[in-house]
Amino acid sequence: MSKYLVMIFGGQADYDAMIGKPSEGHPAWSQQDLQAMFQFMESINNDLAESGELIDGQGLAEPSQSVVITAGPNGAPVVSDGPYGETREVLAGYWVLDCASVERVTEIAKRVHRCPLPAGTAPSDVVVRPIDEAPAVA
Amino acid sequence: MTTAAPTGDLLRKLAPQVLGALVRRYGHFDAAEDAVQEALFAAAQQWPVTGTPDNPRGWLIRIASRRLIDELRSAEARRRREESLASMTPRDELHEPPSSEARAPSADDTLTLLFLCCHSALSPASQVALTLRAVGGLTTAEISRAFLVPEATMAQRIGRAKKTIKSAGGHFQVPEPAELPQRLAAVLQILYLIFNEGYTATSGYSLHRADLSAEAIRLTRTVRTLLSDNCEVAGLLALMLLIDARRPARTGPGGELIPLADQDRSRWNRTAIAEGVALVSEVLPRKRLGPYQLQAAIAAVHDEAPTAADTDWSEILGLYDLLMRLAPSPVVSLNHAVALAMLHGPNVGLEQLAKLDVEGGLVGNHRLDAARAHLLEMTGDRAGALAAYQAAAAGTLNVPERRYLQLKAAGLQPRSPYPVLVETPAVP
Repeated sequence: MSKYLVMIFGGQADYDAMIGKPSEGHPAWSQQDLQAMFQFMESINNDLAESGELIDGQGLAEPSQSVVITAGPNGAPVVSDGPYGETREVLAGYWVLDCASVERVTEIAKRVHRCPLPAGTAPSDVVVRPIDEAPAVA
Repeated sequence: MTTAAPTGDLLRKLAPQVLGALVRRYGHFDAAEDAVQEALFAAAQQWPVTGTPDNPRGWLIRIASRRLIDELRSAEARRRREESLASMTPRDELHEPPSSEARAPSADDTLTLLFLCCHSALSPASQVALTLRAVGGLTTAEISRAFLVPEATMAQRIGRAKKTIKSAGGHFQVPEPAELPQRLAAVLQILYLIFNEGYTATSGYSLHRADLSAEAIRLTRTVRTLLSDNCEVAGLLALMLLIDARRPARTGPGGELIPLADQDRSRWNRTAIAEGVALVSEVLPRKRLGPYQLQAAIAAVHDEAPTAADTDWSEILGLYDLLMRLAPSPVVSLNHAVALAMLHGPNVGLEQLAKLDVEGGLVGNHRLDAARAHLLEMTGDRAGALAAYQAAAAGTLNVPERRYLQLKAAGLQPRSPYPVLVETPAVP
């Protein structure tokens, strides 16, 4: 068994569309759209919990609530709030999974990719990254 | 839980009693706790095969004592000292519990343990973890799954908590009468926290976490039997039962929150409601009111209404009036405003919410936005309601709540959303 991080991405515009603030390429979600997505995610999470592969899985709050620390002119850290544009895609949610093989986690990631979306919305890429094993704790 | 009932249930009932007996006799809370876990593990493996011993509690005390003494001995040996209790006590005396002990009810130990686990030197997270392990009898693996943290992290947290108690001079004894109310308040708060951890769980995690609410109810029930004339303990138990009764109806198929008014009340757990209502009816007349009793009374009024429209809002408003005097908080004021609106119309409620804005305790809080959205929707102000639902949805970090608020916002969309798909004109 190996651990994997499965990531999905989205921009502020995607979050806005889900609360009824549409923009070009990001149509507003209807109640049916939302319900279909909720049920889809719910069934994935339940299946992963039942199979014992789910270690953690979380959605992240909208990008505008981010806090970013960058190096200032003199190298000292500079803190800024929600510095992303409407369309820049950032991490929107993730699962930490314990899977038997990379084939298995890829299968799960493909299922995530099939998440129902409103017509006219492009699906996010789903990215799988293996997690380095920490040394065993005695 | 991993051990099969009835062994699992029995072990978890006995766990605090066995731990209490060990700590009372030998001290060393931290080492005793480890020894009890080992004994529980041994029992969970052996009893299903060999059968449950005639005196299961005595069996566990004997095995745990042996482990504890071995541990203390080897620790002593490592330090090359001879003065430990263990090395000066005849071995038989350590291994066999006094005959009186197997018969004497030692449930009081459970309460003493709870006080120790909810020691003020610990963070709430550590209090919760230690309570679940030492009093609840859950394994570290079970607790770590419930809180979605790696088992090693949870083991460290529990280990550190035990050391902290030791260095803070925590003793295995019932608090002085003068500090009892304060110490009990800390215990009740942790039990309610455990309950809420289970209750607010969502998604795949509910499979792991639902047990936490049941565990909190079980522990609170135990405290209730030990402090049967304490009205707040009864109030907390009633509150948990009355809220938990709605569990089957409170989320939709997509994990979205279903508000009280829209829940299918035929799915509520009537047995739990009956027990909660009986507790409330028993303690309220005693006039020793407290926040848990009042919240339980409010929950009871909701649970007893056959439909949302039948809700006795004047009763609820009266209870919130009392709660505002007894334990004022911005959230209580918010709920008070909602009750007022349900009784006298949305505009009265909106005026109250405007006052809360001025007072400032809830600025930017999604609950304030959500309440305002509901009331604006009641007045027919769809645009205002939409904006408030959107603010609330963006503001909450709770998944079921956000899903519900997103659905409400979507339902208030103007008829034609942003045009994305351009219809191809029909070719003549």
